[in-house]
Amino acid sequence: MVAFNPDETSEIARARLKKRSLNVQLVDRLFVAAVYILLATFLAIVLLPLIYIVASSFSSPQAVSAGRVGLWPVDFSLRGYEVALRDPKIVSGFLNSIFYTVAGTLISVVLTIAVAFPLSRVDFFGGSLITKLIVFTMLFSGGLIPTYMVVRSMGMLNTPWAMIIPNAIGVWQVILARAYFRDAIPKELYEAARVDGAGDIRFLLLVAIPLAKPMIAVIALMYAIWQWNSYFDALIYLRTDALHPLQLVLRNILILNTQSNLGDATAMLERQQLADLLKYSLIVISTVPVLLIYPFVARHFTKGIMLGSVKG
Amino acid sequence: MAVSENGDEIDRRGWRYRARRSWQRHWQLYLLILPPLVYFAIFKYLPMVNAIIAFKDYNVVAGVWGSPWAGWKHFSSFFGNLVFWQLIRNTFTLSAYYVLASFPIPIILALALNEVRLRAFKQTVQLVTYAPYFISTVVIVSMTILILSPRIGLVGDVFGLFGVPAVDFLGRADYFRHVYVWSDIWQTTGYSAVIYMAALASIDPSLYEAAKVDGASRIQKIIHVDIPGLMPTAIIILILGVGNIMQVGFEKAFLLQNPLNLSQSEIISTYVYKTGLLNANFSLATAINLFNAMINLVLLVGVNAVAKRVTGRSLW
Amino acid sequence: MAGVELSGVTKAFGGFHVIHGLDLKIDDGSFTVFVGPSGCGKSTLLRMVAGLEDVSGGVVRIGGTDVTDADPVARGIAMVFQNYALYPHMTVRQNIGFPLRMQGAAKKTVEQRVSEAAEILQLGELLERKPAQLSGGQRQRVAIGRSIVRNPDVFLFDEPLSNLDAELRVSMRVEIAKLHKTLGTTMIYVTHDQTEAMTLADKIVVLRAGRIEQVGTPVELYTNPASLFVAGFIGSPRMNFLSGTYVDSFVTLVNGVSWHAELDIDGSAEILVGVRPEHFVPGPASVSLPLSVDIVEYLGGTRYVYAALPGESPLTIEDRGADDMQSGSSREFPLDTSKALYFTPEGKRLYALG
Ligand SMILES: Nc1ncnc2c1ncn2[C@@H]1O[C@H](COP(=O)(O)OP(=O)(O)OP(=O)(O)O)[C@@H](O)[C@H]1O
Ligand SMILES: [Mg+2]
Repeated sequence: MVAFNPDETSEIARARLKKRSLNVQLVDRLFVAAVYILLATFLAIVLLPLIYIVASSFSSPQAVSAGRVGLWPVDFSLRGYEVALRDPKIVSGFLNSIFYTVAGTLISVVLTIAVAFPLSRVDFFGGSLITKLIVFTMLFSGGLIPTYMVVRSMGMLNTPWAMIIPNAIGVWQVILARAYFRDAIPKELYEAARVDGAGDIRFLLLVAIPLAKPMIAVIALMYAIWQWNSYFDALIYLRTDALHPLQLVLRNILILNTQSNLGDATAMLERQQLADLLKYSLIVISTVPVLLIYPFVARHFTKGIMLGSVKG
Repeated sequence: MAVSENGDEIDRRGWRYRARRSWQRHWQLYLLILPPLVYFAIFKYLPMVNAIIAFKDYNVVAGVWGSPWAGWKHFSSFFGNLVFWQLIRNTFTLSAYYVLASFPIPIILALALNEVRLRAFKQTVQLVTYAPYFISTVVIVSMTILILSPRIGLVGDVFGLFGVPAVDFLGRADYFRHVYVWSDIWQTTGYSAVIYMAALASIDPSLYEAAKVDGASRIQKIIHVDIPGLMPTAIIILILGVGNIMQVGFEKAFLLQNPLNLSQSEIISTYVYKTGLLNANFSLATAINLFNAMINLVLLVGVNAVAKRVTGRSLW
Repeated sequence: MAGVELSGVTKAFGGFHVIHGLDLKIDDGSFTVFVGPSGCGKSTLLRMVAGLEDVSGGVVRIGGTDVTDADPVARGIAMVFQNYALYPHMTVRQNIGFPLRMQGAAKKTVEQRVSEAAEILQLGELLERKPAQLSGGQRQRVAIGRSIVRNPDVFLFDEPLSNLDAELRVSMRVEIAKLHKTLGTTMIYVTHDQTEAMTLADKIVVLRAGRIEQVGTPVELYTNPASLFVAGFIGSPRMNFLSGTYVDSFVTLVNGVSWHAELDIDGSAEILVGVRPEHFVPGPASVSLPLSVDIVEYLGGTRYVYAALPGESPLTIEDRGADDMQSGSSREFPLDTSKALYFTPEGKRLYALG
């Protein structure tokens, strides 16, 4: 056998490595290109429908109805928005939704803190039993009709209360808030406050809540968006049109094709065209408030998902 | 146990003492938690009690307790009904299809985003794909209907490009599931990817360095570092999906329903709504609901047992 | 102002016993330090005095009143925590004033007392800052400020300096000693740094596994430890322990060196001989110990010599000589046997008779 020459072998190895890394570099380049193409596709798939909706909402009734609109407005017009904002049902739905969202979120946040904070204290006797009972409601429920019967017997049917109270507390939000109070606020602060003479309520108001602002913002946003977007409670609990939230009004117009007040348009064809256009404008109107604040809150939402991963 | 030194000690063990102490110290907290507890009692636990009407012939006048017992009548009439198997099949198929189809896509998105070094591009993609999550179900469904509409929708145009007559996706029962599942994936992929992005961010950086030293290509790095790192999260999400398989939400299916697709779009929750609130058959609707809830509970408990085995962590 | 008295105090977490029937009297106005190894129950004991932890049995008295079941705020105590426990969203002024506001004190009183405290602790310029904008030492001063505005009867400190760097630790130690002089209030102080214990304490309580090992002044504990444990724990560098035998009033080390000693013991026994580093000096009762030098550390005036008997672990010797000492060389060191302490292998002190 030839004598073993370390220098030589290492040279060969280095050369091989160099060649391999050239290959690797090439493969990587191609791969990165593929990644960008893939992501651009994702982007397009999400974005194109949204653009189409917005473009249509700014087009003329005739163009929309004939299916002539693509990704840019055709015969630019604001007729859709005009009709939408003149419709008293839509306006009242919008105002109702604002009311339900503000009031509901407020009540939900207060109740969630009221349950999560005591449960976050380790020496709160009965806390683990209460936690179990609350989590259990996530796994099992009496169902639609028995709940409906309770709401009915409380006299809440067809009142704004039905929109705010029956689903006021989300178990997930409770778990999140409890974990935050327990893990993100050092227990020494609580002990210091006890030595300083602050009772539980004063500790909550003066120390825990100010320190839990990020978490409270997250759960408030969760509740608010849920309230703004839901229609089911309204569908089953509200009869009177005047109480309907925007989503239910939208459902009637967008999906059930209930004709809304189309103003002065009298001709059959014109009515149909306007009805088509109105849908696009309505989608934009109802979604813009949420999507406008979304970029600012997305970060907090992401944080909220992470908070949840702090084991409950 | 140790014998007390002053007779006082035994008194300080046990739940009675702890309960009394806790009350002395935290009475404010007990007052604070009272309203939420009342809420849970009334709106979550009272309905569970009311669910007893599944075994009764409920009528409004007699009330829950005054109504005559009916035994298993409503259950057997449901099991004997022709729609029973159709409902089970529709619910299960829709859900299984959704769980399987929606599982890999957020992972792919997260892995791809993780490869991007251009911050602006990465953030744009994240922000845009995340956005639909915040759109309401009503709006998503109407967008779907509008876009898929052969007459005015975007899809009509696409078919037109190829000179093929447009398909009426909403007019045929066979398409219902695809429409339901893929519109949902469109809405939630960006959101789900966030969870995987977090899992990727928490992978030990030294693993990447090791891969680099070994001269691994990016694809090899993904296969050997990223994907194993995602596994625990992915398994939990998949298991959770399986646990909820008989629990398809009412909101979207109900909105997408029309007389033409009912044979596939009628699921348990929509059927319960119609039986109970539209046809006012409270007892039957409650029986169906109860049956479904029991299946869910069994599935969830079973799935949790599996999760504990696989991941060593309980889901609750 | 008040003394603290614990009688028969026990503590168990679930079934896990941490404090075993402990009796202790702390004099009014004294500075008492709890020391002991990590996990021995120092913090638990302090927290039971504070009322942050319920006792499992026994009685706690402060100023003669039974406070066993009283709330912390009702005990007239103030506590300073290891991690400061300042309210992060409040300014220094608000932090210091917080306990007064909780008492419902008038705005004027709060203002006045806060500025008094700020003066004592030199926090004047920092009053409008938030805790995050302070250094560790400043934070701990704020925490102390928060505790003094209430004029407590007893101050409790749980390792208040252990998050500070060495230099700051020394200066804060001096400040706390000064504070005790000025206020004259009872202070109980937990630490596992025995230098802090020696310098601050009127009285040191050495704890070991939930029991009191010895109570005494720093000098008592240093010169007259009740057990091997205390002897080894108090003093820095540590006391040296040499194994030996005791036969017929003679102590003999493994290398054969022996001297006369009358111990409270019958017949012969294996014993441990404890010698402090500064007791390797010539004297009337000195013996000569041949050791091989390991390492020499020069500290200026003195030096520490690490030297070992063959087959034994090295001894620490404090030496004031100025001659050249090579590591690896062999030398004779004097050992003042009159200062030596004796222990059984189980750690019990063997007292010399007469
Ligand atoms: N809340 C608790 N639950 C269970 N065990 C506890 C609890 N608090 C303390 N212990 C245990 O009690 C023992 C004494 O703890 P303690 O905190 O008093 O020790 P320490 O002497 O202060 O130690 P260190 O010097 O490390 O602070 C330890 O073994 C600890 O594990
Ligand atoms: Mg401690």
